[in-house]
Amino acid sequence: MQTLSIREKPGFTEWRDLARDLLQREIPPEQTLWECGAQGALALGSTPCAETREKAISSFRVSRTFLELCELASRHQDDQRYALLYRLLWRLHHEDRRLLARATDDDVMTLARLVKAVRRDAYKIKAFVRFREVKNPHGEPCYVCWYQPEHYTLELALPFFTTRFRNMRWSLMTPYRAAHWDGEALTLEDNPDPSRYPAFDEVERYWLQYYASIFNPARLKVKAMSGQMPQKYWKNLPEAALIPELIRRANPTQSSVNPLRPARNTAPQRESETPPERADPQSIRPSGLRAAKSDAP
Amino acid sequence: MNSDDLAKKLAILADAAKYDASCSSGGAGKRSAGKGEGKGLGSLTGGTGICHSFTPDGRCVSLLKILMTNYCIYDCHYCINRASSNVARARFSEQEIIDLTMNFYRRNYIEGLFLSSGIIQTPDYTMEAIVRIAKSLRQDHHFKGYIHLKTIPNASPALQEEAGWYADRLSINVELPTSQSLALYAPQKNLNVITGTMTRLDDRISEARAAKKPARYIRGGQSTQMIIGADATSDKGILSASVDLYSRFKLRRVYYSAFSPIPGGGSALPAKPAPLLREHRLYQADWLLRFYEFQLDDILMGADGDMLDLNLDPKLAWALRNRQMFPVDLNRADKSLLLRVPGLGARSVQKILSIRRYHALRWTDLIKLRLPTQKIRPFVSVLDYSPPVRLLEKDALETIIQPARQLNLFENAS
Ligand code: SF4
Repeated sequence: MQTLSIREKPGFTEWRDLARDLLQREIPPEQTLWECGAQGALALGSTPCAETREKAISSFRVSRTFLELCELASRHQDDQRYALLYRLLWRLHHEDRRLLARATDDDVMTLARLVKAVRRDAYKIKAFVRFREVKNPHGEPCYVCWYQPEHYTLELALPFFTTRFRNMRWSLMTPYRAAHWDGEALTLEDNPDPSRYPAFDEVERYWLQYYASIFNPARLKVKAMSGQMPQKYWKNLPEAALIPELIRRANPTQSSVNPLRPARNTAPQRESETPPERADPQSIRPSGLRAAKSDAP
Repeated sequence: MNSDDLAKKLAILADAAKYDASCSSGGAGKRSAGKGEGKGLGSLTGGTGICHSFTPDGRCVSLLKILMTNYCIYDCHYCINRASSNVARARFSEQEIIDLTMNFYRRNYIEGLFLSSGIIQTPDYTMEAIVRIAKSLRQDHHFKGYIHLKTIPNASPALQEEAGWYADRLSINVELPTSQSLALYAPQKNLNVITGTMTRLDDRISEARAAKKPARYIRGGQSTQMIIGADATSDKGILSASVDLYSRFKLRRVYYSAFSPIPGGGSALPAKPAPLLREHRLYQADWLLRFYEFQLDDILMGADGDMLDLNLDPKLAWALRNRQMFPVDLNRADKSLLLRVPGLGARSVQKILSIRRYHALRWTDLIKLRLPTQKIRPFVSVLDYSPPVRLLEKDALETIIQPARQLNLFENAS
């Protein structure tokens, strides 16, 4: 049995190097044991020299698509992910080069499930990040967010932020890594300190007001909302604190509509830290609750 | 931006905009601030855009959707902002709208702005203000996010066309499916004027695309909204109007909005709201027309009084009327037939097509694909399964679709 330790997060490059080596040495998946996040323990035979690496690459090429899918899947928080990826690699090599087309194969399905979850999580970062403005020592505005993704997906969302907010200074902090953008370049920082997330933003109250006002209480569909915005994400969203109250007002008789267990904290690390300061739902009243129709031109 | 005043205005003018069905920020392609330009902000990601939040009504929040003002000199019967209504009124300054948009955008709350307005003074006066806001966002603030503007009815063609240079999407509401209904309920509006605007804008869009150096002009196209159930038009009448709008003016979307009575609305209006379920069925039918290769006749053939069945989704209703087409062999049927199977979405169909190139599908494959096996059971066959004949009989089908019905009734009640 070989024990392989991946120390990086998410660790795709490490896995790829180890996997090439294992494949080269014809070590079947049953004889491997993959560990994530173990500190310091170097994997057995994990440093193939440049020569063997090259040989491994030339003796067996995998499709770019497969590698891209592996890169995505390696960002999932599931501890079994590396074992799965190596098994797939092995089977591609020994069993069927077109394995990935077999959409109902169990391993292929698991891969698809992981990839889908990761893609969705990365999409949700783009959607759910809420920056708060602070001034830096030079008096320039900076936009800061503490965000807890479910998987290791920060890097996937960065191109979106560097494009959209290219001319702003911003910091996007997640429990495992932060990205800081100064208008020109990106700096990454491991295990950032969430207390740098400002407790207050003066515009946020208008956002809460907007959220409460754009909600149409005549069409309460809590399930549809939680399908798209599951509670595990609510801890990132200032407006989520308004939801229980908005539901209660829209539907005072039906107290059983209660999707509102306290949000489970599913971030990979530093689970206890939540952003400070939440909105007080009392201060934001949804106005004009009449079931009326306005239809501006 | 720091007064309670602004919060109050926002409460009134977002509330007044929330009945507008459109919330999409998609369809306008990709865009980002050019490299080396020191001041631009924003991007379009392509595809359908990003939903930044969801409210408990299940709707996506992607745009700052507000009215510039809910004062209005017109008196459309179905509208809460009509001149004779006594709602609380408010009006944003142009600067306030610009600041809100920029401030919200920088914090990643929104994809952009959806601006509409009641009519103050004259249609042109109002439209000019709307154009100025969009122009300032684009030219003074180099804003590259999404802008959806609603044109003001009866504003001059030149202003409406100018709006197209700043907007990613323009909507021109037809409001009601027929010109008679419009005359009755919105006497100051005129269907010919409305469709005239659509034609002109469509021409401008084509011109801009065909130009030697194609210009970005309303890349997201035009959309419109129709109110359902304020007048007596049947579903067939409504869907015919939609088919017509889609084909004549290449509209991107027709939105349907179920009428609900307003305090002090005209006596010509019904006292009861139109069922939300009707609106839902119209969207489903609209979807079948656009993405599932259905024709209007398929959808309404044999329907009661030209109305969609409220109890059944239109695809299932079609299948029940065309039982002889089933079961469909998932290993052999062509794409258009697969698309007709109730319970199979466009994506599932794609997966089925790609898997069966490698091996014939069995029942376990359907389970693994997470298809709604209960629902498709009577309608499909695979290598090791074909439905017992009795399943396609009326009574058996009724029991299978029963759970779906109950669900819909519940939704309707909410
Ligand atoms: S013009 Fe628009 S805002 Fe004014 S009453 Fe008619 S629908 Fe309402």
